Amino acid sequence: MELELGLALPSSDLMMEKSTFCKKRRFDEVLDENTVTLPLFMQREEDSDSDRGFERSSEELNFGGGRVIVGWPPVKLSRRRTSCVKVNMEGIAIGRKVDLSLHDSYQALFLTLYTMFPKKQHEEEDGGYNSYKVTYEDEEGDWMLVGDVPWEAFIKSAKRLKIITC
Amino acid sequence: MVGRFRWAAMFPDEVWEHVFSFLTSDADRNAAALVCRNWNRIERRSRKRVFVGNCYSVAPTVAVRLFPEVRAAVIKGKPHFADFNLVPSDWGGGAEAWVEAMAEGWPNLEELRFKRMVVSDDCLDLIARSFKNFKVLSLVSCDGFSTSGLAAIAANCRNLRELNLRESEVEETCLNWISHFPESCTSLVALDIACLEGEVNASILERLISRCSNIMTLRLNHSVPLERLVGLLQRAPQLMDLGTGKFSARHNPQLFSRLESAIAGCKNLRNLSGFWEPGLTYLPAVYSICEGLTSLNLNYATIQNPELVKLISRCKNLRRLLVMDLIEDSGLVAVASSCKLLQELRVFPSDPYDAAEPVSLTEQGLVAVSAGCPMLHSVLYFCRQMTNAALLTVAKNRPNLTCFRLCIIEPRTPDYVTQEPLDTGFSAIVESCKDLRRLSVSGLLTDLVFKSIGASANYLEMLSIAFAGDGDMGLHYILSGCKNLRKLEIRDCPFGDKPLLQNASKLETMRSLWMSSCSVTLGACRQLARAMPRLNVEVINESGRGPLVAQPDNCPVEKLYIYRTIAGPRTDTPQCVWTI
Repeated sequence: MELELGLALPSSDLMMEKSTFCKKRRFDEVLDENTVTLPLFMQREEDSDSDRGFERSSEELNFGGGRVIVGWPPVKLSRRRTSCVKVNMEGIAIGRKVDLSLHDSYQALFLTLYTMFPKKQHEEEDGGYNSYKVTYEDEEGDWMLVGDVPWEAFIKSAKRLKIITC
Repeated sequence: MVGRFRWAAMFPDEVWEHVFSFLTSDADRNAAALVCRNWNRIERRSRKRVFVGNCYSVAPTVAVRLFPEVRAAVIKGKPHFADFNLVPSDWGGGAEAWVEAMAEGWPNLEELRFKRMVVSDDCLDLIARSFKNFKVLSLVSCDGFSTSGLAAIAANCRNLRELNLRESEVEETCLNWISHFPESCTSLVALDIACLEGEVNASILERLISRCSNIMTLRLNHSVPLERLVGLLQRAPQLMDLGTGKFSARHNPQLFSRLESAIAGCKNLRNLSGFWEPGLTYLPAVYSICEGLTSLNLNYATIQNPELVKLISRCKNLRRLLVMDLIEDSGLVAVASSCKLLQELRVFPSDPYDAAEPVSLTEQGLVAVSAGCPMLHSVLYFCRQMTNAALLTVAKNRPNLTCFRLCIIEPRTPDYVTQEPLDTGFSAIVESCKDLRRLSVSGLLTDLVFKSIGASANYLEMLSIAFAGDGDMGLHYILSGCKNLRKLEIRDCPFGDKPLLQNASKLETMRSLWMSSCSVTLGACRQLARAMPRLNVEVINESGRGPLVAQPDNCPVEKLYIYRTIAGPRTDTPQCVWTI
């Protein structure tokens, strides 16, 4: 899947003014040279068809280019140092960043995500956003559906977000 | 044989007790207790302070019975890797058994310090009701309690001097727990509530601080705005240790000058921390007391250069600096020239999970500080690149290092110039730094580095290893060397059964061993447990393969925690933990 017009120019993003910390990152992402393969949403544990005995279960491939390892690097997550989390959307190579502390509810977050990943990027899908799910990686490395836990608990534990097709 | 120790019986017990009271360190008292039976009895009966490094190493009732006069206890629970979510949340470390035994046997207990324990509100309630002269409660990296429990402590501990909740996770169930400190409470000397997520009523806090004229340590949480900080400082100008709340506000010159003078009024300020969401406009308000600071913790402060360096460079008497990698190499060069008394440096990653992060903090910063700060002995450094040459330079510059923890963020990263493993660099550290007590290694490492560590690190007490080594020999070198090793924690290394079984007796000389995602099998654990009855061999398997007792010997072990104990297997293991 080639890069679509997901290269939304940073200047058009409402979030720019509010979070200078996120802003610094975005330019880097736009110019990012990481070649990203088609992101695959990998199921964790309960992977019953691959009973391959002892596997390095602590490493996993992530969309967006980096590897995700539980409990690494060894920093305590009890106090989030920055409330910005990366957001990737399935099929879109360039990720974005969202500042969770600027939102007070899931509704507000979804609105921001809708703004960040406008509909024209995936016109082929019908039903608009009904056919998408937003997931997040929690502090234990598990992928969960956004919306299940109370908002306060969510912003404390979410490390990154991923929008996937259903 | 009896005759040789007759002199010990020449003096009544009280004389020996008095002599022992001059032994302040636990190690010295332990040594005295081993001299003869008399001394053992007298020492333990008069011991006032007890330190339990592993809450499961001894049964609480036994500890309370052996040391009946204890006034201060320190108890530690979960393994260190629990900080990084490697230990299941229901693993254990519950404080109930300890608090119940203490309530029963130590009614005169004055100080209780828990670390990585699960402390319930019921425990806090029991503490509040059981100890008439309770003075100090310290809950570091603990969880399981809420502000309701804190309210009970506040309300009932009449002589409370210290309440410290550093890095604990606290549920917010009681909104105004601070108001439970009675008007008659004037005894507070130290209050650390920085970890609290919820609102703290600043007016009530102000009244509390006003009547506690001896308050020396006040660490606020993020909810206390800058405007209220002014009032608090005005009421407690004697403060030595301040943790600010939120350090930003709308641009307001009046607020700035009020803050500036309130801070300047705190002439005894030595420790400064907090700085949640720092606003650059208000940073200069602390400049006046910078020169007096000995400890500065900017761990949570997203301040960048040049403001960050401007602040730190004024702190010429700093002994301890905690900062984010936003300081960059250039900032550390400034630290090296400004902070000549620096003893401890910790540099944390501002964005630990962003792999594509462009970095201006490299090995250069570490080298600069090692060269410029002659008293530097404790280092924790997160970075993304390293060279053997840099480590060799650090080792040469700072043979006085006692703690060296280097975390190169990407696992198995080699020397970025030569592409070689970092064996020679870390070997130089252990060979040069003869007093090294604590070491964390990272980057690309072969078994060779463990050979050096095993051979040279004679005083090493704690070693952390991740994504390193080639095979069994690596672990064997460590376990057969490192004479003073107490705690060993390993993750994602190709270490298997052989070194464990070959060095089984070593494990009894240590406090604990943690191994996760290595190559240990259930069979080896069974053998080890059979051979070493004074070790608890705990296997943690969270992937739900069915009861471990039915699994074959070659079943791989996900996580392994071995510790010495005189209490036998514990009775509070959850489903995923199996004591072999």
